Amino acid sequence: MDLTLITESVPKILSGIGITFQLMLLSAILGLILAVILLLMRLSGKWYLSWPAQIHIYIFRGTPILVQIFIIYYGLPQFEFVRDSIFWPILREPFGCAVVALTLNTGAYVCEILRGGVLGVDHGILEAGSALGLSAQQKFIYLTTPIAARIALPAYSNDFISLMKATSLASTITLMDMTGIARTIVAQTFAPYEIFISLAIIYMILTWVIQKTFGRIEKYLSHYVNP
Amino acid sequence: MEAVDGWWDDYFWGSMIVLQVFFFSLILMVIFGLIGAAAKLSDNVVAQKIAGAYTIIFRGTPEILVILLLYFGSAITLTAIVQIFSPDTKFVDVPPLWAGTIAIALIVGSYATETFRGAFLGVKEGSIEAARALGMSDLQTFIYVRIPEMWRLALPPFGNHMLSLIKDTALISIIGLNETFFVAKQAIGTTGEPFTMYIVVGGIYLAFSSIVTLSVMGMEKFGARTGEGAR
Repeated sequence: MDLTLITESVPKILSGIGITFQLMLLSAILGLILAVILLLMRLSGKWYLSWPAQIHIYIFRGTPILVQIFIIYYGLPQFEFVRDSIFWPILREPFGCAVVALTLNTGAYVCEILRGGVLGVDHGILEAGSALGLSAQQKFIYLTTPIAARIALPAYSNDFISLMKATSLASTITLMDMTGIARTIVAQTFAPYEIFISLAIIYMILTWVIQKTFGRIEKYLSHYVNP
Repeated sequence: MEAVDGWWDDYFWGSMIVLQVFFFSLILMVIFGLIGAAAKLSDNVVAQKIAGAYTIIFRGTPEILVILLLYFGSAITLTAIVQIFSPDTKFVDVPPLWAGTIAIALIVGSYATETFRGAFLGVKEGSIEAARALGMSDLQTFIYVRIPEMWRLALPPFGNHMLSLIKDTALISIIGLNETFFVAKQAIGTTGEPFTMYIVVGGIYLAFSSIVTLSVMGMEKFGARTGEGAR
């Protein structure tokens, strides 16, 4: 164990935490929006909305995220029309491609989690809503949404952690996030244990922080269920 | 798609490597998961602590990092050991297939630990009491009551673990395993059609995960034939 190497490299690795956070938060927000859209498409009951959503979910859950990142970053520029399109400024940059890939991927997973939440809403509550004269839309907004969100939260926190871990794959398309920096240092020093274990500890701390944060939110959301 | 024409056999052999990794990592994953679950359920505090650390470490670290650490780490350690016996050895090569297989088995095994633990805890107290009443020994209870009841509970999450194994195989290409993803990289070098080549990889993985999903559905149906509400 080379302690000076660790004390020298950890600050360097941490300089990439900004990119890790940007990738994570941007993809999480965009992914959640995508997931809600996909969910509404699935629940619409119209085949021309529900099928595309199901195909998206099937493809993005059935293939490795690494393949998705590579198709978007290396694959799409093969086409002239992609390079001429308005999306080119995003798809030209590895950061943009990583966000697009992570968003499409996490959106598919989160949609299934949210669907589980919606299906878990007690029927009696919806009947009570009907008895009170709420419209279908009102029932969805005031009854289904808050209860489904609470049911889905534990599974969502797991997916959020998966997303955080998946940001490390951005290092494969030349992005200098924490993993990218660590791999460069290992290539120079050839000290995998020191560098990679330090990085693993940083990721574990992040995982722990995310878990605690979601635990807090869960407690807050259920304060009137278990007072 | 004509560009793929000369590459189908390479993709085929790449797919065989995916299958090989899947097969071996599946066996190892079940073993790691069962050991982890047994340790967590045991009365031994040390075993519980070790199993707890195992799940925290491997569930909290990115998969790619575990693979890189295991690959480069084992290469360095093995080199150091070999150099004690024959000092003129420069470097020992660790096969990426084995480093990668063990790495993804360890990762997914940490998730399987929780699955198996939950499934064993989900076995109904009444079933075990019934087995006792019939005069079954502990071993018989384990084989005829606990196992048949727990695998049904474990099956849906276990199906997801198998999908993770298949998909994580792609990550092993980063340390040089010549599976389909690696084949695509070579093919792009000569054809210059990255989209086509990676779409083929995606299609192969989609086929594999569909087969896994369908088999798990079949097994669930098989398991449910004697369950509650079955006739």
